[in-house]
Amino acid sequence: MRNLLDFLARYYNWFLFVMLEVISCLLLFQYNSYQGSVWLNSSNAVTGKVLEASSDIESFFALSKVNEQLTLRNFYLERQLEQLRRLYADATADTIKADAGQMELLNRYKLVSASVVNSTLDRHDNLLTINRGAADGIEPDMGVVCGLGIVGVTYMVGEHYTVVMPVLNTRTRISCIIRGRGYFGFLKWDGKDPSIAYLEDVPRHARFKKGEWVETNGYSSIFPQGVLVGRILQTYNSRDGLSYRLKIHLSTDFGNLRNVCVIADKSLMESSRLLEAARDSLRQSAAR
Amino acid sequence: MLVIVQVLIFGRIHLFDCATPLLYIYFVLSFGEAYPRWVVLLWSFAMGLCVDAFANTPGVATSSLTLVGFVQPYFLRLFVPDDAGGSFAPSLKEMGSLKFSFFSGVLLMLFCIVLFSVEAFNFFDWVQWLLCIGGSWLITFMLIFTIESVRR
Repeated sequence: MRNLLDFLARYYNWFLFVMLEVISCLLLFQYNSYQGSVWLNSSNAVTGKVLEASSDIESFFALSKVNEQLTLRNFYLERQLEQLRRLYADATADTIKADAGQMELLNRYKLVSASVVNSTLDRHDNLLTINRGAADGIEPDMGVVCGLGIVGVTYMVGEHYTVVMPVLNTRTRISCIIRGRGYFGFLKWDGKDPSIAYLEDVPRHARFKKGEWVETNGYSSIFPQGVLVGRILQTYNSRDGLSYRLKIHLSTDFGNLRNVCVIADKSLMESSRLLEAARDSLRQSAAR
Repeated sequence: MLVIVQVLIFGRIHLFDCATPLLYIYFVLSFGEAYPRWVVLLWSFAMGLCVDAFANTPGVATSSLTLVGFVQPYFLRLFVPDDAGGSFAPSLKEMGSLKFSFFSGVLLMLFCIVLFSVEAFNFFDWVQWLLCIGGSWLITFMLIFTIESVRR
């Protein structure tokens, strides 16, 4: 402290000079319009640059949140597009007015956004872990999607984490439809290439082309209609020769997966529970 | 006194549209060695404020005059003869005409440059700027020299 005071005492003339110059500059910039405007412009430019730099840094730290929001939005928009396409096809092919209630369908789905914290790609039975659990309303057998398409089904749910069985698991069977054609099959993974899956049990009378899109058909209670799965690459005959086996290039990039959404829609589960109850009762009555 | 004269008479003169006698600088030039630096500084600041107040250009003369007030004691020290005894005041009869001209000329030039630069605040019309500096310097210098000669 004393050093500071000594310093000040020794150079007090300089400080006085600087202070007086600052005062005169203040007077100059305040009361002379031209000088004031020059000062204002240049100080605006400097403060503008500094604020821009700081907002760039802030927005960088907010990127993860923006990413999550975009994934959600992406999902909604894709579904909406799908609905609109269907409605348009109905409207142009048919003069019946489209049911406006169909649009409400989209808002029914309660989506929970999550991040992938653990995943494997190289095993036969891959599993991935997401950072949401029962505390966020997740239950087993809920569908998981991402911005690009389908991811998998929830398998085991903890309080705060959930293990998801992705498409890249030999035990997965997801019902899919060829867009626009209406023919459906079951999606299975053969355990080899993480970007390729196979759509099996497609009937031989089905018409389709290479490059067409495959999506979920809504028959299962896990995924709503229209969730993207992939594109048809090639057609093979099934092992027993009775149906086709289509090679699908998956639209989801499992290697890069970070932000996903869980479709936590209770109404979907309701229909699946009802179906199971119906099957059980049939079995019981057959056994009796 | 000097301020009034400056403001009422000299401030209005604009010879050839560029030269303005700036006699108030004479006030700062004539501070002797005996005055401490901060006194010189404060007086020149005050003088600048007064002139500015009347000329309606706040800050222009204040800043330039403060700068000259800061530099003047340093510069004066260069001209002080060894046997001065601590109360040297710059004037024609003490310093001789050559030295005095040099002393006042340099300080005056510094003042003119700073003043006109701050006033214009751009170098757009630099010819006019140079003319102003040169003209004012000349006329003020002549005035100072005349007054000093008369004082002898």
